[in-house]
Amino acid sequence: MSHGRSTSFQGVHQRAIILVLVGLFAVQTALTWTSSTSVAPGRGSLSTQALIGRQLYQDHNCTACHQLYGLGGYMGPDLTNVTRAQGKGPDYARGIILHGTQLMPAQQVTPAEAGHLVAYLDAWASSGTYPIRSFDLTPWGTYLQMNDDARD
Amino acid sequence: MPAIDRSALLFLVFGVVSLWLGAFFGLLGAWQQVMPGLFDVIPFVKSRPLHVSLVISWIFMVAVGGVYHYLPLLVGRPMHSPRLVRVHLFLWMILGLAVLGSYMLGRFGGREYWEFPPALGGLIAVSWFLLVYNFFRTAMQGRGPWPAYLWMWATGVVFFLLTFLEAYSWLWPRDDANVVRDLTVQWKAYGALTGSWNMLVYGLALVVMERISGDTEYARSRTAFLLYALGFTNLLFGWAHHIYPVPSAPWLRYLAYGVSMTEWILLARMIRHWRHTLDGAQRHQHVLAAHFLYASEAWVFLNLGLALLISIPAINLFTHGTHITVAHAMGSTIGINTMILFAAIFHTVDRVHGDTVTRVQSVRLGFWLLNGGLVLFWLSLIGAGMIKGWYTLMSDLSFQDIMVMVRPFLMSFAAWGIVLFVGITLLAVHASWALLGPFLRSRPVPVDRSTEAYNR
Repeated sequence: MSHGRSTSFQGVHQRAIILVLVGLFAVQTALTWTSSTSVAPGRGSLSTQALIGRQLYQDHNCTACHQLYGLGGYMGPDLTNVTRAQGKGPDYARGIILHGTQLMPAQQVTPAEAGHLVAYLDAWASSGTYPIRSFDLTPWGTYLQMNDDARD
Repeated sequence: MPAIDRSALLFLVFGVVSLWLGAFFGLLGAWQQVMPGLFDVIPFVKSRPLHVSLVISWIFMVAVGGVYHYLPLLVGRPMHSPRLVRVHLFLWMILGLAVLGSYMLGRFGGREYWEFPPALGGLIAVSWFLLVYNFFRTAMQGRGPWPAYLWMWATGVVFFLLTFLEAYSWLWPRDDANVVRDLTVQWKAYGALTGSWNMLVYGLALVVMERISGDTEYARSRTAFLLYALGFTNLLFGWAHHIYPVPSAPWLRYLAYGVSMTEWILLARMIRHWRHTLDGAQRHQHVLAAHFLYASEAWVFLNLGLALLISIPAINLFTHGTHITVAHAMGSTIGINTMILFAAIFHTVDRVHGDTVTRVQSVRLGFWLLNGGLVLFWLSLIGAGMIKGWYTLMSDLSFQDIMVMVRPFLMSFAAWGIVLFVGITLLAVHASWALLGPFLRSRPVPVDRSTEAYNR
């Protein structure tokens, strides 16, 4: 085979580029797993109860229909702030989990399990606000979030 | 026929079956969104993961089957261990049945896209490890520098395994667990996972392109390696555009924004080479596989434009969590990946049967129904997403009120889904029948003379 205008990818430069990229990825991974995603106490930390709720959320495949921070299914509403939003709250969430609505079936869980699910949802509500309705757009294509009223 | 070829062809056959089933459950799920309660035996909570897992399985089965099929031809040596290929296939068969069974019984426990019980994820990791081992033992036997597709496959198989394990890191108990880390790490892994299987698929596209055109220089050119490096950088760092609204450290978002914008280079290159692409499409119009490759290039153009726009944080603010994200996912998996995978399948069919099978009229009809249906399906989702995004941010309307406004677009999406499904069915029936031919007739695969060109 002719290699007249071909290039070898086994040269020092190319291998160095790959190594640098993988090294940066390792650093980014370490930071993502630690300081870049740590939260202040009470701002999204998962209690023992909330961790049980997390597994129940997965066991019942709630993500098929619901979103958290806009990630998940599209059939039902986003649940990020459901336990702290105006006109809703923990009892509202517990009621829907146990009894369902016209569109959502009641989940086959005990009242105690519903409590764990609400604890899990409340961890999300304490972490931030979604959707972000109060923002300032910048000329660089980014935005500044103006307030975070659903947390407290 | 050598046993290794049989296993590779079976990967392709089971991949096509997965696609058809995945499309069926996708169509069911689409109609359940506009007619809740439809076919309650398989409710939406089951039809969605069935659709997603089967479509992911289609991509894996054909991408991995393609690697097993072409790798020995490209390096001029048989696979290091044909037995491991068969074990891999067997493990995936068991896994497929276990996943389908768990969904049907309503046994979940995993996270989005991998909703099955986490123990089954272990089986995926083991089978993938077999692929990594067999791939490197085989690829290292080849002479000379690797072309770009071998680098793509090597990157794809290694990073898939690494990031798949990362996607399951939530199983590792930590005292400082929090939802921000949970979601960030999950989407970091998913972004890189998608990048990894794209590496496998794009590598396959390069191989098929090379075989159709006969140009063995392109995959060794600077341009091919530049595109590989760009894809690799995006695989490593481009994932955070999935999580712009999540309150993690801002630098993660800014880095992803910057890296995502490097893809404008790809878009600019595509525009510059568009004329060349059209010429090529005319020259190879008699080859069905080439039709799929050119269609995939058109979809890369459309979908990359959309991806670039939604990677800009100020636009993402309005599109995140809306059906525009679904349009992007469908454009990638159907428009780009599925077109390339069908190109690989019909190229393999040509090798097995000659060109006669792929000239069948209904295959061409399937091609046009798939692409035409997908354009309108994609536009319906974008319309739905624009309505949802705008009214969610700029009004006080409830979720239910907004969904009433979105409904006509979802009806259109579900209706065009029927056209897509018919197109996929026509292609799947012909592809499976043609691939199964050698098994049914016990006919050997003709020797591929073009293999010699790779080993000169």
